[in-house]
Amino acid sequence: MKGSGEIYVVHRLLDEQICDSEGKRVGRVDDIELRGDPPRITALLVGEGLYPRRLPRHLARLARRIGGPELWGGNALRIPWEEVDELAATVKLRKKAEDLGLGMGDDPKRWIVRRLPWN
Amino acid sequence: MKAIFKIALGIIAAIGGFLDIGDLVFDTQAGALFRYDLLWAVVLGTIGIAVYAEMTGRVAAVSGRPVFDVIRMRLGFGMGLVALVASTIVNLLTVAAELGGIAIVLELLFDAPYSMFVFAAAVALVAIVALLPFGGIERFFGYGGLALFVVVATAFHQEPNWGDVAAGFVPSLSSSSLYLYFVVGVFAAALMPYEVHFYSSGAIEEGWTEENLKENRLNAIVGYGIGGILSVALVVVSGYLFHPLGVEPNDLGTVALPMQGAFGETGLLLALGGMLFCVGGAAIDSSFAASYNLAQFLGWEWGRYQGPRKAPRFTASWLVFLLLGIAIAESGINPVEITEYSVVFSVVALPLTYLPVLLIAGDRSFMSGHANGPFATVLGWLYFAIIIVLAVAAIPLLLATNAGGG
Amino acid sequence: MSGDKRFRTGAFALLLSLFLFAASGCGDLSKDELNRGVESLSALAAQGQLVASGVARDATKSTYARVMAKTLGGEAEHEAEKLADATPEAGTEEERDAAVAVAGEIAGLFSELQTFPGDEHHGSLVQKHLEEAQEKAEAITARLNGEKS
Repeated sequence: MKGSGEIYVVHRLLDEQICDSEGKRVGRVDDIELRGDPPRITALLVGEGLYPRRLPRHLARLARRIGGPELWGGNALRIPWEEVDELAATVKLRKKAEDLGLGMGDDPKRWIVRRLPWN
Repeated sequence: MKAIFKIALGIIAAIGGFLDIGDLVFDTQAGALFRYDLLWAVVLGTIGIAVYAEMTGRVAAVSGRPVFDVIRMRLGFGMGLVALVASTIVNLLTVAAELGGIAIVLELLFDAPYSMFVFAAAVALVAIVALLPFGGIERFFGYGGLALFVVVATAFHQEPNWGDVAAGFVPSLSSSSLYLYFVVGVFAAALMPYEVHFYSSGAIEEGWTEENLKENRLNAIVGYGIGGILSVALVVVSGYLFHPLGVEPNDLGTVALPMQGAFGETGLLLALGGMLFCVGGAAIDSSFAASYNLAQFLGWEWGRYQGPRKAPRFTASWLVFLLLGIAIAESGINPVEITEYSVVFSVVALPLTYLPVLLIAGDRSFMSGHANGPFATVLGWLYFAIIIVLAVAAIPLLLATNAGGG
Repeated sequence: MSGDKRFRTGAFALLLSLFLFAASGCGDLSKDELNRGVESLSALAAQGQLVASGVARDATKSTYARVMAKTLGGEAEHEAEKLADATPEAGTEEERDAAVAVAGEIAGLFSELQTFPGDEHHGSLVQKHLEEAQEKAEAITARLNGEKS
């Protein structure tokens, strides 16, 4: 990743917009994976499946009912930390969205998007 | 001279409609009930939106972040979601009120059923957005809205006691809950957040950088200043004509009556035409603001310039908001009543969307040299205090006065 | 819940609903409410005169005049029904009946304006009659407030 120095993980990384190498918006940092001792950031986690974790207990139950359980590869995606290119106004990634399995929400092949009147 | 003209046109285009149905309703009622006594509240609200817009425009230009990016970042997911839900409800009510407003004005002009015009208005808006280039859309509604300067002309034509008018600019408080309700209402109608959210997203879409900061400041001061002048004029003409007669303006058509009185059919048509463009512009701004906020919070691809293929969920959500707006406008509730609620609720939700922007605008690590200076800091926090007071008082006053019905 | 407790809850609920029923006035028209109703009528008449004068001078659009007449007429009718349905406070029956009559007059005048929104002659007549109706409304207000000792 370009640049060095310290970053405030919660203040400047969590909830940031993520963009791929072409500037396409592919979601927000919904959670961060930390491993090891001392903890190191190993991945960024993206997806609606992660929302229940961010909500207080009762709302979390409701959220899980609406959005379904965490489905890794579906509504929860993992971006390895090595894929992050730069932290600016957005989290910029090294590769294009498709190469990382991201941006499926707006993908024209997705069933709900296909049904839209202009597609 | 030519440069000034060009800048003026740019500002008009940037701001779109200067007034919306909230201003039309609350300013006219305020004038009829309290004559010129609430002019100070109009000015207070106008300065407020200029402050808020300048800050969000600056944040967008320097940090590349639109409002709901700032909100999710600064408040986190949980509180940010509260802000999103509140903001979406307010925007939905606003869209419904504006659509209803368009329909009422069309009914007054063409005497065909209101419910037909609600649909027609929505269809026309979609067509305008789909067919006109984006600069054209803003200019279309902005220039059309200038017709409302007939209200200013009416104020001068009426020759009110200018001393009395001037006295209205001096803040005064009364223990009357109806008066206080209108202080909140007039201020809130001037400071509708969807305008600013739309403006901030527009700045990102235009690719604003630090070079646009002067333009941003001009837009904020002059653009919203024009809105303020029109609002003041509305209060004055309504106060002059309606207050002595005890007229209670409960209908949108009443707003145009003073202009008919002063300039006959021409005045009436200019007033109704200006209202149509302003409310139409507001319908577009509020519906897009709702989609912008949703998409930005969730991290979707967004932007009018992206088009429906690149930003399908954003575009679809815009259409859904329009549909919901139609449903509410067709439900039989008078749009003037919907407006009372949309305006009052908007000030209740305002602290949540104002505070994060204020904090980021003052944060040097985001604003690299363009953070709030001492003047902007004082003004920014002063308005936050005012907004908190009004947000707390708003609903009790709404209930106590039965939404201004007394 | 034990029978004793159920009885007490039921009695409380009954008393509460009776109290609310009485407090709401349920169909009673206080002098203040009657006053406000008459003032509304006066305001409607005033606004109507502005619309009618536009028609009379041929200085307005007929669609605007028609739709305004329809809306304001509807408000006058609504006021008439409200006043007619409620039970007036003792001593104000005469004024209430007069108010209902004026409301009906005003509604009728708006109806006329709705039918002839482009006719200057009708416009000027309606304007004159609305002025008379407004004076009647103000007379009722004066009587109501004069009786305030």
